[in-house]
Amino acid sequence: METSFALTGKGYVIVAADTTSARSIVKMKVDEDKIKTLSPHLLMAYSGEPGDTVQFAEYVERNIRLYQIRNIYPLRPSAAASWIRRSLAESLRSRKPYSVNLLLGGYDTATFDPHLYWIDYLGTISEVPFAAHGYGAYFALSLLDRYHDPSASLEEGLATLKRCIDEVSKRLVVSPGKYKVKIVDKDGVREVEL
Amino acid sequence: MNTFATKFSTTSAVGQLRKAQKLAAEEDEFSDAAWGSEAGFGNVAKGAPSFTVPAIPDPAAFLRLHTDDHADPSCRIKIQHGTTTLAFRFQGGVIVAVDSRATAGSYIASGTVKKVIEINPYLLGTMAGGAADCQYWETYLGMHCRLHELRNRERISVSAASKYLSNLVYSYKGMGLSMGTMICGWDKTGPAVFYVDSDGTRLKGDLFSVGSGSTFAYGVLDQGYHWDLTDAEAQELGRRSIYAAGHRDAFSGNTCNLYHVKEDGWHFIGNYDVSKMHYDGPGNVPGAPGHGYGYDIRVEGRSSANPPEASS
Amino acid sequence: MSRSYDRALTVFSPDGHLFQVEYAAEAVRKGTCAVGVRGKDVVVLGVEKKSILQLQDPRTVRKVAMLDDHICLAFAGLTADGRVLIDKARIECQSHRLTVEDPVTVEYITRHIAGIQQRYTQSGGVRPFGISTLIVGFDPHDKAPRLYQTEPSGIYSAWKANAIGRSSKTVREFLEKNHKDDLSREESIKLTVKSLLEVVQTGAKNIEISVMESYGKITNLELPEIEAIVADIEREKEAEAERKRSRLAATAAGQAAMSQRAADAGQGSGQ
Repeated sequence: METSFALTGKGYVIVAADTTSARSIVKMKVDEDKIKTLSPHLLMAYSGEPGDTVQFAEYVERNIRLYQIRNIYPLRPSAAASWIRRSLAESLRSRKPYSVNLLLGGYDTATFDPHLYWIDYLGTISEVPFAAHGYGAYFALSLLDRYHDPSASLEEGLATLKRCIDEVSKRLVVSPGKYKVKIVDKDGVREVEL
Repeated sequence: MNTFATKFSTTSAVGQLRKAQKLAAEEDEFSDAAWGSEAGFGNVAKGAPSFTVPAIPDPAAFLRLHTDDHADPSCRIKIQHGTTTLAFRFQGGVIVAVDSRATAGSYIASGTVKKVIEINPYLLGTMAGGAADCQYWETYLGMHCRLHELRNRERISVSAASKYLSNLVYSYKGMGLSMGTMICGWDKTGPAVFYVDSDGTRLKGDLFSVGSGSTFAYGVLDQGYHWDLTDAEAQELGRRSIYAAGHRDAFSGNTCNLYHVKEDGWHFIGNYDVSKMHYDGPGNVPGAPGHGYGYDIRVEGRSSANPPEASS
Repeated sequence: MSRSYDRALTVFSPDGHLFQVEYAAEAVRKGTCAVGVRGKDVVVLGVEKKSILQLQDPRTVRKVAMLDDHICLAFAGLTADGRVLIDKARIECQSHRLTVEDPVTVEYITRHIAGIQQRYTQSGGVRPFGISTLIVGFDPHDKAPRLYQTEPSGIYSAWKANAIGRSSKTVREFLEKNHKDDLSREESIKLTVKSLLEVVQTGAKNIEISVMESYGKITNLELPEIEAIVADIEREKEAEAERKRSRLAATAAGQAAMSQRAADAGQGSGQ
């Protein structure tokens, strides 16, 4: 089952998403990257209806890139989040809405603080210190309520993420095997092995 | 109320007409919104091609009602479902292997179906799900690949071709298309396999199998697969995996068609009878084990019986 | 009679001219000069910058635009038209990535831009774009630098080196004389600056240079770098002139000596 987590810490956001792509009972792929790098300091994890997810994510990716080429500066995380939410909300009221859930993590290079937005397919947006989508959320949210620290160092943040992943592996019936983990901070975006 | 519905309906006859008129008008209109990329694919049909859908409010529901979608096998129109197809990338190119059975409900409609669609000399597509959907849209894809060649003076990449197909079927999402296909070929980046289905999913990968028998094929394929297979080993693995599915899955079988894509395009390797493979093996071909694939044949003469040794 | 042909926007004159398109080409000839030079594995764009006014912000006046990671465009002619065309091209670059995943090739985006320009010569209620463009870049999975030109009529063509805009004919002739195949990075930049200096009298501060070395690697030269190159060229020119002068002086001296000798001989024979 698709699961994604994200959490903020001192000057960074960690975004993690599972890497399996399933069709009925078969895993078609086990190394799918479901986190897009939208701009030098912006990450987006996406999950939901197959087909819609990639189509919507690529649509967002290209539009954010176009903005940067046109204006030299990329959108700041809060502006990007608003634009993405609005795109989803408009799609929701169209003949064929995108069913996509998103976690948007970014680092604002103007104010030097990390931002994390939780967005669902209905166009709900909420800025949060940590977030999760999918069945993993049922285990991770309580865990993060207990263990998350907004001023945690990167190592501590990754350790907390590890707790979430371990918990889900332990308790969820069909838990995902592998996760892709990406970090965004003042130096931009990078991927880490957990 | 009625006029309102007609005005905004996209599927009614009037709606169709309006759409056609709009398309015709757009030809010489300067709409900046219309500058969305057709990536050199434009003109044959504006954007995603459209054909006439039944003049009813919900064509997808109509299709569900009159075809044997899961629950109701008594419907008049039977859509071919059961299939096993597989494709994998390895050091020597891409192997594509498929079965040849077409079933309509519990009845075998044909045992000699070509489930590999030869899009052009460098691209192959496989067929699972609706036979007509796959045949039609992959042929259509072939047309566009040729246009791409003529416009850009180079062959289309496998990634672009598969993306085109995926965008196409995505635009019909929810309208009843049923396809699960692998687009395989060789381009500037080397051998490539993409899985595309009618949900709009498109995955790049090394190894895929699609259809009702795919689980059986995976069982053999995953265990025998590694990147450094020789050509003969790879062809044998493809054959054997399709045999496995043909043997175990009621909706797959009859014969196996095998293709090998190399740098100079695809080659048809052969057609193998599943029953013959069971008893005698695929015949005198590279990689053949020299005996039947069947369990009984493979283990002939061996026994698990473990009687205590007779005291002498 | 003929006046109606140049009023009606896209109607042929009896002798087969589209006057509006030709006027657009005239607008290009009035625009600032832009030069493109293709080297061995580098491609350079150079443009003449109009002198900015004292209180103007120079950053808002740019004539080289990035279309995508791997493609740059320079234009000559009506700046406002250029902006519109560039925006259409940028959208197409992203749109192309969205529809077929691959980035555009340089030829593809050139053809697209030329296509837009052509449509504006064949439709009612519009006027042609008053710009020519030079498009440079690298194709994905390819190491060869590319240089294309488009014109208001919608013609496009590939070049080793070319110039558009004011005095482009002079500059092109200069390039024809001085361009060699397989120029290095430094040679390409130098040739670009040198050819621009044919028309730009005010030197480095009115020149803008963009260099593309490989897929996605673009650098805009800073003013001091351009100044150094200009100084270098001036020095070479100076040395060349010096040599010419000394050669002239030598010839003059030689001639003087010769006539002196002749005079001496005449005198000698007279005695």
